[in-house]
Amino acid sequence: MRPYLGLLRMSTRRILTYRLNSLILWIGGATFLAGSLAVWHALLSQGEIGGYDWDQMKAYLLIGWASGAIGSAYGDWWMADRILDGHVATDLTKPLDYQWARFSEHMGGLATEFIAIAIAATAIVTFTGGMVVPGPVQALLFTVSFLLVAPLKFAITYITTMACFWTQNFMGVSWAKDAIVTLFSGALIPLALLPAWLAGPAAVLPFASITATPAALYLGQATGWEALRLLAVQAVWILVLWWGARLIWRRALRALTVHGG
Amino acid sequence: MSLVEARGLTKIFRRPEKDPGLRGSLKHLVQRRFKEFRAVDGIDLSIEAGESVAYVGPNGAGKSTTIKLLTGILVPTAGTVRVAGAEPHTDRMVNARNIGVLFGQRTQLWWDLPVRESLGLLRDMYDLSPAFYKQRLERLDDVLGLADLLPVVARKLSLGQRMRADLAAALLHAPKIVYLDEPTIGLDISVKDRVRQFLRELREDGTTLMLTTHDLGDIEDVCERIVIIDEGRKIFDGPLAQMKDRFARVRRMHLQLAEPTPAEKLAERLPDVEVVAGASPTEVTVTFDRFTHTAGQVIAAVLDVVEVGELHLDEPAIEDVVRKVYAGELLR
Repeated sequence: MRPYLGLLRMSTRRILTYRLNSLILWIGGATFLAGSLAVWHALLSQGEIGGYDWDQMKAYLLIGWASGAIGSAYGDWWMADRILDGHVATDLTKPLDYQWARFSEHMGGLATEFIAIAIAATAIVTFTGGMVVPGPVQALLFTVSFLLVAPLKFAITYITTMACFWTQNFMGVSWAKDAIVTLFSGALIPLALLPAWLAGPAAVLPFASITATPAALYLGQATGWEALRLLAVQAVWILVLWWGARLIWRRALRALTVHGG
Repeated sequence: MSLVEARGLTKIFRRPEKDPGLRGSLKHLVQRRFKEFRAVDGIDLSIEAGESVAYVGPNGAGKSTTIKLLTGILVPTAGTVRVAGAEPHTDRMVNARNIGVLFGQRTQLWWDLPVRESLGLLRDMYDLSPAFYKQRLERLDDVLGLADLLPVVARKLSLGQRMRADLAAALLHAPKIVYLDEPTIGLDISVKDRVRQFLRELREDGTTLMLTTHDLGDIEDVCERIVIIDEGRKIFDGPLAQMKDRFARVRRMHLQLAEPTPAEKLAERLPDVEVVAGASPTEVTVTFDRFTHTAGQVIAAVLDVVEVGELHLDEPAIEDVVRKVYAGELLR
C-alpha cells in the first residue's frame, strides 16, 4: 500500500508544480460550462425539453462537467507518453503492479479536481440562483455513483493509452476516445435526447455510467431497485474493464518494443 | 546455478517493410509486409555472483535488448532466463527487488520534482527502513556527491548531475545485481572517473555488475570479464586478458636507431613483418604478430643491421580488438 500512496502523493505534487497550467485548464473548462449553461438557458426558456426543465438541466450540466473533470488533471497524455517515449521500461523494473501504480497516479489528481468542482458548483449556485437538491437517499446513491466514476474513467483511459503499444501514436486514439466518451456518456447532451440509433449503443456501452448514471441518481430519475441496478452496472463495468485491461496489458508486453538505449 | 543464467535467449522483432516514398507508405497500408529481425539470437550467458561483466558490441548488436530481457522488460521469443532463481518476465515483481537498473539515456527520476522526492518514493517502493535509507543516502553521498543534488528539481540537473542522481536511484535499495546500460554516456572526463570509481567500489562490495558501454575505459577500469556480441550473437566471452590473447595478436615496436637506416633494409631481415619509417630517418616502427615472432627475435634482427638506441613496445589494446569487431573483421 505504501508505495502506491507514495505515487499518489507524487502525482498530486507534480500537478501542483504546474499551477499555472492547471489554472488555465480550469479556466478553459469553466468557460465551456458557462457556455453550455447559456445555450440551455436559451433553449429551455420555451419550456422543458426531454423531461428537463432549467433547474434540472443546470444540475445535469454541472454533473456532466464534473464527471468530465475527474481524471483530467492527471491527463491521458502522461500515461501515453510513458509508453511512447519508452519510460515504461524503467517502470517495469520496479516492484510495482503497473496498473495499480498508474491508478494511484490517476487518483493523485482528484484533490485538485474536487476543488475545481466545488468552485464551479458554488459559482453556479451563486450566479444562477440555487440548485436542485436531492433527498438523503438519492444524495447517498449519487455520492457512491460519483465516486465510482474515478476508477471507471481510469480504466477507460488506461485501456485507451495501451493502444500506443500498437499505434505508436496517441493523437488519433485520444481524439476518438474523447469524442466517444463525451457523446455516449451523456456529457454533450442527455442520452434521452439522442436519436434511437445513437441511444441504442449508448445503452450498452460503459460510458453512460460516467455521466448519465450519477445524473439520474441526483435528479431522482432512477430510484429504488432501478437506482441499485444502475450502481451495479457501474461496478460491473469497472471490474470488467479493470480485468480486461490486465489481459490487454499482458498482450501489450509481448508487443513492447523499446528502441535504443 | 549461476546468479544470471540465460539459455538460447532469443528476441525477434517485427519491422514493417515499406518501399521508399509516399507510394511505398500507401502500398504498405493495403499490403502490409513485415520483416523479422533477430535482435538477440540464441545467447547463452551465465554470470556468477560478484562478477563484473562488460557487454560490448557495435550499435544495434542487441546489447540493450539483452538487458531488457534479463530485467524482465521484454518477453523473450525463445529461450530461458533465470535471475536469482526467478524468471524475470513472469516473476517481474520478485525479480525487480533483486535488481537495480540504469538506462543511461533515460531517467527514472520524477522530472518535475526535486531529486529527494524521487528517492523517497523509491524508499517506499522497496520498503526500506528509515535507518537503512539514511545510511544508504550517506554512502551514496560520499561517492556521488548526492547532497547538493537532493533539493534540485530533476529537470534542472546537468547531464552529469542527472546521471549521478540516477545512479543513486538505481542503487538505493542495495540490489544484488546491477545492470547499467551506458552509464557514462555523454559525461565529461571528471564525472566519468567518479562514476567508474563508484562502480569499482560497488564491485568490491560484492555487487554483481553487468554494463553495456561504448567507452572502452569503462571496461578496463571496472570489468574483469568481457562478452562481445554482434548481430545478436555472442562472439567472445571470457576474461579481458584472454580476449587480448585471442584477438589482439599485433604488437608494435618503436625503435630509435643509432644512425639513419632505410626501412627496406630492415624489412629484408624481417620477412612477414611490417617495417615503416618513422618521423625522422633514425626512427622506425615494426609491427609484428606476437604468435609468429617474439620481441627478442625482432630486436636481434634489427641489431644485425644497426645499433638501437631506445625502444618502446605498444601492448595490444582492447580498443584494437573491439574496433575490429565493430568493423566486422573478427571471425565468428
